[in-house]
Amino acid sequence: MLYCSSAIGRIVRDKINIGPMKRFCLIFTALVLFCAPLFAADKPRRIVSIGLCTDQLLLLLAEREQIASVSVWALNENMSYMIDEVGNLPLNNSSVEEIIKYQPDLVVASKYAAWDTAKFLRQLGYQVKQIPLARSITDIYSLLRQFGEWTGNQQRAESVIEQMQSELAGIEQRYAERPQKTVIVYSPNGFTIGANTLENDLFTHAGYLNLAASMGIEGFRPIALETLIAADPDVLQIDRNLSRPDSLATAYVDHPALDKMIEHREYLDIPTRLRICAGPMITEAIEIMARRR
Amino acid sequence: MNIKAVEPRVLYAILLPILLLVFLLALNVGPVEIDLGKGMQDWFSELTTIESLILFDIRLPRSLLAMFIGATLGLAGAALQGLLRNPLAEPGIIGVSNGAALGAVIVFYYGMAGFAWFLLPLGGLIGALIAVSIILMLVGQSRSIITLILAGIAINSIGGALIALALNFAQSPYAMQEIVFWLLGSVANRSVNELFIALPFMLAGWGMILYCGRFLNALTLGEETAKSMGFEVARMRLVLVLGVTASVGAAVSVAGNIGFVGLVVPHLMRPFVAYEPRRLLLASAVTGAILLLVADIAVQLLSSNGEMKLGVITSLVGAPFFLFLILKSRNVLQ
Repeated sequence: MLYCSSAIGRIVRDKINIGPMKRFCLIFTALVLFCAPLFAADKPRRIVSIGLCTDQLLLLLAEREQIASVSVWALNENMSYMIDEVGNLPLNNSSVEEIIKYQPDLVVASKYAAWDTAKFLRQLGYQVKQIPLARSITDIYSLLRQFGEWTGNQQRAESVIEQMQSELAGIEQRYAERPQKTVIVYSPNGFTIGANTLENDLFTHAGYLNLAASMGIEGFRPIALETLIAADPDVLQIDRNLSRPDSLATAYVDHPALDKMIEHREYLDIPTRLRICAGPMITEAIEIMARRR
Repeated sequence: MNIKAVEPRVLYAILLPILLLVFLLALNVGPVEIDLGKGMQDWFSELTTIESLILFDIRLPRSLLAMFIGATLGLAGAALQGLLRNPLAEPGIIGVSNGAALGAVIVFYYGMAGFAWFLLPLGGLIGALIAVSIILMLVGQSRSIITLILAGIAINSIGGALIALALNFAQSPYAMQEIVFWLLGSVANRSVNELFIALPFMLAGWGMILYCGRFLNALTLGEETAKSMGFEVARMRLVLVLGVTASVGAAVSVAGNIGFVGLVVPHLMRPFVAYEPRRLLLASAVTGAILLLVADIAVQLLSSNGEMKLGVITSLVGAPFFLFLILKSRNVLQ
């Protein structure tokens, strides 16, 4: 817009020699005329998503005709909740060449995943919108609203939010009488989930106390196996479904000490696709966790 | 040197208590304070408690592994220095450890380790054997320090590049981040599984190396003399090489390439054993075990989250020593 108006201004100044007031009126009129079609064409028509989480938001909120392509991750059985919705949509591998092939009027991506691709696309003049990382369920609501605005589907976003809110209220009511339990997450490379993360908020909503967060761990950080064992949580959540193929990272979650610990404790395994992205599927994860409490 | 050689009895009366002490200290060190006595008690009464889990499933395998790998590296260093009659020979410097790491990486990341327990150390052994063969071919009968170091640099570079290549094409999304482990080594988060995988190969390798003690003594007088003393030189050399590759291959396949232990330890111990290669072997094994345990304790004290690798400490101490040796031998040669 700024670029546009200054360009028009320059043309007008060069070609027509009139007083400043009149010039302003002329520019203003020209701008309104020029920009009107942009406002009229309210919805983007060829949206490309280049990451798992924006794939799912797009499939959830946008009309089918608006979607030009989603990433291959949308069909990953472990990660994607919306495999069935993909249908015959073209898939991309998040490379710049593939993306510009669709001549998209909007590219959606996660803020941290494909920052270099996003930067490149912007330089080429494409419209790129990036969703921030959701650190709580409240963040998910504002993310859904924002995504609805970008794609011109505000109504649908609001109804998804309402649906989520009523489901969460239902879960809270159903399991209100059960006592709170303590939990710790252990993932490949010995990482755990601390405070200020979406997963931590899910635990809170499901009636758990995340001991890693109580220890002062913030975000996604490594925890010593000894520290985990000494914390002695009621419930252990281990990411073992990412455990193959062999690597040193997955040797962390295959440690014999963990097996012995699990023998004496509850073991929680929430499917990755329910908790990896911001979206309405997280209510399903919370339901499973609350039911197991 | 003004250090007097000491009686073996006296030497081990000093070294073994130190080893025991350091081992107990290693069991005591960790991110969590635990009561070792309670851990022992719970374990003997077959209770799974926090203390017994941490002591017997986490700290004991880790410390035992550090001890055995330290012994392996010390022993292999002493054996290689005797075999090549070169004071700068060491599994890490001449590229044997990187060769072993390459073999282990291929077996581990390409899904072969699951078929049988012995495939992982065997991969390490084969990689180490290839590296040693190339070294022997390049160095031959030459006792030149420069030739050995240059050959080592070449083999290390090729090995390192091939490790990176193998990790690049591995299926696991974590593989590429794990290159640091293979190049710098660590016993963090290693369990009883890794201990049992490596132990048989290490023990067999130690046996073979110790069996060659008298041959190493004879070899100091030259191959001809050794032959005239009744040693089958070719066979003994083969046994020695197999001993080094089996033990180093197994050690590297579970803990990565931990550098410089095999260089420093024999040099430290040589004055105490009257410069006798046969006596140097056992003394280097015990001292290597002590030093690696100390290094592992230092790693845990310096970084509580376990991110620092064992090879960082051993290289920080060992590499300046390596430089010192190069300077010293240059003066002698000129």
